[in-house]
Amino acid sequence: MVVVQGVTHRYPGRRKVPPRTAVASLDLHVPEGGFVVLTGPNGGGKSTLFRILSGLQRPSEGRVRVAGVDLFQEPAQARRAMGVVFQKPALDPHLTVRENWIVHGELYGMGRRLIRERLDESLSWSDLGGRLDDRVGTLSGGLARQAELVKAMLHHPRLLLMDEPTTGLDPGSREAFLTTLVSLRRDRGVTLFMTSHLFSEAEAASAVAILHQGRLLALETPDRLRSALGETMLVIHTDDRPGLAASLREEGAGVTVTERGGAFLVSGVPEPAVLMEKLWARHGKSIRDLAIKRPSLEDCFIHLTRSSTFEESDPENPS
Amino acid sequence: MILAVRALAWREFLRFFRQPHRVVGSLAQPLLMWVLLGSGFGASFRAPGLEGVSYAEYFYPGVLLMLALFSGIFATITIIEDRNQGLLQEVLVAPVPRLAIVLGKVIGATGVTLAQCLVLVAASPFLGLWPGWGGAALLLLGLVIATLGFTALGVVIAWNMESTAGFHAVMSVFLLPMWMLSGALFPLDQAPAWLWWTMILNPATHALAIIRIPLAAHAGSWVQTPYLWAMTAAVVWALLCLLVAALQVNRVPKGR
Repeated sequence: MVVVQGVTHRYPGRRKVPPRTAVASLDLHVPEGGFVVLTGPNGGGKSTLFRILSGLQRPSEGRVRVAGVDLFQEPAQARRAMGVVFQKPALDPHLTVRENWIVHGELYGMGRRLIRERLDESLSWSDLGGRLDDRVGTLSGGLARQAELVKAMLHHPRLLLMDEPTTGLDPGSREAFLTTLVSLRRDRGVTLFMTSHLFSEAEAASAVAILHQGRLLALETPDRLRSALGETMLVIHTDDRPGLAASLREEGAGVTVTERGGAFLVSGVPEPAVLMEKLWARHGKSIRDLAIKRPSLEDCFIHLTRSSTFEESDPENPS
Repeated sequence: MILAVRALAWREFLRFFRQPHRVVGSLAQPLLMWVLLGSGFGASFRAPGLEGVSYAEYFYPGVLLMLALFSGIFATITIIEDRNQGLLQEVLVAPVPRLAIVLGKVIGATGVTLAQCLVLVAASPFLGLWPGWGGAALLLLGLVIATLGFTALGVVIAWNMESTAGFHAVMSVFLLPMWMLSGALFPLDQAPAWLWWTMILNPATHALAIIRIPLAAHAGSWVQTPYLWAMTAAVVWALLCLLVAALQVNRVPKGR
């Protein structure tokens, strides 16, 4: 559905600001009916890639095909196939929900009757039933996002692009939003592409893409991403960090140690229980807690982005 | 294309009339100017060849021009607001010709502005300024062309602006002088030569002429610029602004 080939984007420099490469020779494929969550640290190139995919920015090099056509050669055709939900609200707060939808529908060449039909249809999967004639400015954050989603789906796009669509939503509304997405994908085969920095949102995805310093570090299913870190990992909080770090270094290759939020995360351990006992015997007094857990997507993310940072900035000290 | 233009213009209309302070503000400013300046300058206004014309009468087309210029250009400030929300992006990712985006904005803003001008025009018979039906039709045509040009100019200015604060700066160093040097405040022919040239090159001068001439058809003696010339200049200049605006909107930023 989306094919990105060799896309590089350099922002032109200004006086005293050197040019900056935001995305570097990126290849990415989003299959029809897939659900890809694009994640990565801030400044990693997510927003640039999103702007390119939505056709708001032309890459310096490379090609983007959406629904079988080149996005920049045949923009009208590509645009018709996609619905876009931006991070910032794209509903006019002075207009009612219905008026906003009508404007959107007409922008996509739909007549009023068709818009009315689609509205009735969307009410079956959204909670906006009683609020159609309320101004958008009076809706709660969760409902406004739903209205945004309904709007983006109004012209029945095959691809839904979303830029951190759940920003500012409470956990309940976020959950509801994601459930709706999953059912849209299941019931209508809509291809979903979404940027997010919340790993809980990536669990439902068919693939997680991690973008860091303009490069794609990984494009894997959530399960395979997790298994890269092994079945289990240790989480250790200690008062004697140098001592523990020294012991962990003795464990040798294959074992990866990262530090996050004052804790040591140890992955790639062949026999975690044995290591646990060993560490407890040696550092029991200074260890505050020592736990064993299954790696989360967040752990994978930090593992991948951290290690690549170290590789580039400090080759002497691969962590 | 037509559907998209209509939808965008309709949205422009709705959002304007849903914000009463905008309606009141943009109508009150020219009215205040007219009442205050009209009565203030009234006593000292003695332009040669304009005997028997009161300043309030002379200034009336200038007030209409002010409304067309400021309300028209202000209506395009919404582009900056739209960009800060996602509204502009939403329009840009839609499968519509870029010209439709400009036309939707310009026609919507023109409609909003004309609605306000009509309030002032409707008041003209009570001020003894009614130009007759023919004059009123020409006046309306003049207002439409002037407002189209100004709103297109507004799109050109607003398109590259990041904040509304910048817009205000442009307004005071560019738009306000443009209005003052149009002949709205004082007749052109008494100005020094250099100023006269500025006034001739100023699009607002021609916009004023196509508003003033229909109004003063019965007292044609103080009309200096031939109507057709002014009309040609105004139309050319409005088309030019529309073209520049469309080219600007058409440009997708590209990396180097």
